[in-house]
Amino acid sequence: MSEPVAKPKSSAALVQSRRNALRSYLGAYGFMAPAGVLVIIFFLIPVAIVLYLSVTNLASSNFTSDLAKMEFIGLKNYQTLLNDQFARKIFFNTIFYVLVTLSLFNVSLALIVSLLTTHIDRSAGFVFRALWILPRITSPVVYILIWKRMMAEAPFGILNQFNEFLGQPTYNYVATNPWVFVVVVNGFIGVSFGMIIFTSAIESIPKDLLNASLVDGSSRMQRIRYVILPLIRWPLLFVVTYQTLSLLTSFVEIQLLTDGGPGLYRTEVWSLTAYHRALSNYFGNAQWGYGSAFAVLLVMIGVVLAVIYMRVFRFDELVAEPRVEAL
Amino acid sequence: MIRKLCLTMLFALLLGLLAGLAVAQDSVSITVRCKASPPEEDWRCNNFAEVEAEVEADLGIDIDLNLIQDNAGWGDYKNEFVLASEAGEAPDIILSGHEDIGAWAPAGFIIPLDDVIPMHSEFDDIVPSLWDSHGYAGQIWGIPQDAEARPIFYSKLLLRDLGWSEDDIESLPERVAAGEWTFADMLATAEAAIDEGVIDAGNGWWHRPSNGPDFLYYYFGHGGEVLDMEGNLVVDSDALVATYELLGGAVASGVMRSDIIGVDWNEVWHPTVAQADTVLFAAGGTWNWPNWAINYVADKGGDEFLFENIGLTLIPAMATGNAITLTHPLTYMISSGSENPDVALALIAAITTPEHNNKHAIDSFHLGILNAQLESEAYANNRLLSSAHYMLDHTTALPNHPGWNAWSNAYFLGIQAVETGEADAAGAADIAIAQMQNELGDGIMVR
Repeated sequence: MSEPVAKPKSSAALVQSRRNALRSYLGAYGFMAPAGVLVIIFFLIPVAIVLYLSVTNLASSNFTSDLAKMEFIGLKNYQTLLNDQFARKIFFNTIFYVLVTLSLFNVSLALIVSLLTTHIDRSAGFVFRALWILPRITSPVVYILIWKRMMAEAPFGILNQFNEFLGQPTYNYVATNPWVFVVVVNGFIGVSFGMIIFTSAIESIPKDLLNASLVDGSSRMQRIRYVILPLIRWPLLFVVTYQTLSLLTSFVEIQLLTDGGPGLYRTEVWSLTAYHRALSNYFGNAQWGYGSAFAVLLVMIGVVLAVIYMRVFRFDELVAEPRVEAL
Repeated sequence: MIRKLCLTMLFALLLGLLAGLAVAQDSVSITVRCKASPPEEDWRCNNFAEVEAEVEADLGIDIDLNLIQDNAGWGDYKNEFVLASEAGEAPDIILSGHEDIGAWAPAGFIIPLDDVIPMHSEFDDIVPSLWDSHGYAGQIWGIPQDAEARPIFYSKLLLRDLGWSEDDIESLPERVAAGEWTFADMLATAEAAIDEGVIDAGNGWWHRPSNGPDFLYYYFGHGGEVLDMEGNLVVDSDALVATYELLGGAVASGVMRSDIIGVDWNEVWHPTVAQADTVLFAAGGTWNWPNWAINYVADKGGDEFLFENIGLTLIPAMATGNAITLTHPLTYMISSGSENPDVALALIAAITTPEHNNKHAIDSFHLGILNAQLESEAYANNRLLSSAHYMLDHTTALPNHPGWNAWSNAYFLGIQAVETGEADAAGAADIAIAQMQNELGDGIMVR
């Protein structure tokens, strides 16, 4: 008995099939185009420009916006950067700042606040979450001014005025423990982002799952450990990734609070150095080219970290078609 | 009839347009950007409004004057001018520190003024030494707006507590100027005040809490130079080490607090020094005085309180044996993008008179820039200005050089290192020199 032979597609069907495939591709790319254009204009082109600036000696003393007129100096800025006696210190400051702020506040405290406020009265939870959002929506200048007023040395600081009133010794808090305040000040801002994501994720867990765990006799802690946390895994990983990259590039609060000091770059982070070099200098003659070299390395670190996170956390699974659909 | 009427109207309209064009051709727009702290420094910009009509009458033109005064940080202020220049939107006149000539002249953002300065006799009377800080590459690039001295403020109140007589206190500026009372004496006095409980440790001497021009006079005071005869950047390692020994030693002996760098200017530094009851010696600038009188001790009597409790003197002699100070003149520069540089210069010339500069000098306690100001009644009768003008005879200035910011940032790193105890004086000098060499390469000579 002969094998059934597949009926060859007619040429018209083939053309139609190709058309459908093309339409499908065009549709997909069409939907992505607006976002793609934004990424090109606001990320890829600026990165390319900064990359180019980093191989020039552009400064206030020879400033031009004409790329063709800038003096190409190859990798000299990178050589200067690598020979800088404080580059290593600033790099490890950055790692320390990101790791500590991320782990203590942007993820852990955000998760704790979310869990607590979703396990109390709904309106009370809303009020507490609204309070935690205040640092995020307050202007950085005002926010840091409040911290400075609170922590200033005696007799100016509010906390030290309490100390004096109580007969306790006074402290110059920020100068003595600059990292504590850099992390806390930034952490309080960072909590709100994770808190919103985690809260919405917890609120969206089907109530029957939560009730079922209680019916099965789990305690609240067990329900958090074995039901809630596994179900908010993806939001958790997203917050870790996003906030890592966000902290890497944030410097405004540090600039306003300590400006990288006290002493020799004690709280200086990489992005603040790029700003100091390229955009802000008491005596003028900002080093745009040299500052761009710092910025390029920051972009490279960010891209590498993003790729590592996507691989380690298997983000492809997050965006994959649900298995029930694939059956 | 109607046709005639239409033609007449059209003719009248054309005449009107032509007349309007003629007027418009004589109207020039001048934008002036001034960095000034209100209210005491308002005259930096407002003086232009005072002379606008006079210059209009002299030149026979209508000036559309646009004054922009702000009090932004120096870094932002300077960057704005650089970006505006490149965008073709720079103001006609920019007021900034004279050291910006070192960056803006080679960039082509400002114009040289040698050929046009002689056209205005007002400039003939400018104190000759002030022109030194306005040169670059053999040309003059700006007109001095003001001068100042950066003195040591001393608390008369605390010196009295220490047992000084009124004669001792009032004669201190003279003794300092003569080189009789030196920096070592100042430190010894501060130590004595701490030992006797007049002040707390760390409050014997405060310098400024952030990078700035003042720090250079300690280096100059130890014989250091920033530029050689050919105008190249140099660093004298011996002077550098000696400077860091002085600063580190003051911290080690308890005269100065180790965290003075980083203290908030407005929240801590000014309010503390102005009260005169906490800090014995403070290195500041003459313009601090009206700021204190208005913002910090107005309730105690303002000027009168300050005269009663605070005095000012030159920086006492260090290794060179000469008392010094540093002047950081602000400078009116004319943008290369200005379409009417002659009008801009005429406006600057019109305010470079004793009458106009005195208003700024008196309100802001900046020193005069004209010889005639010294002879003017308003200036001579001003107790503050007359007590400080002699400091211009002892002054130094920053260099105008594109590499100055790298030099000064490295120098400041050494100061931070030695004051926080992260390095001794020799180590701090090594840090500073290594930083200079890394960033300036062949552009710095270590001596």
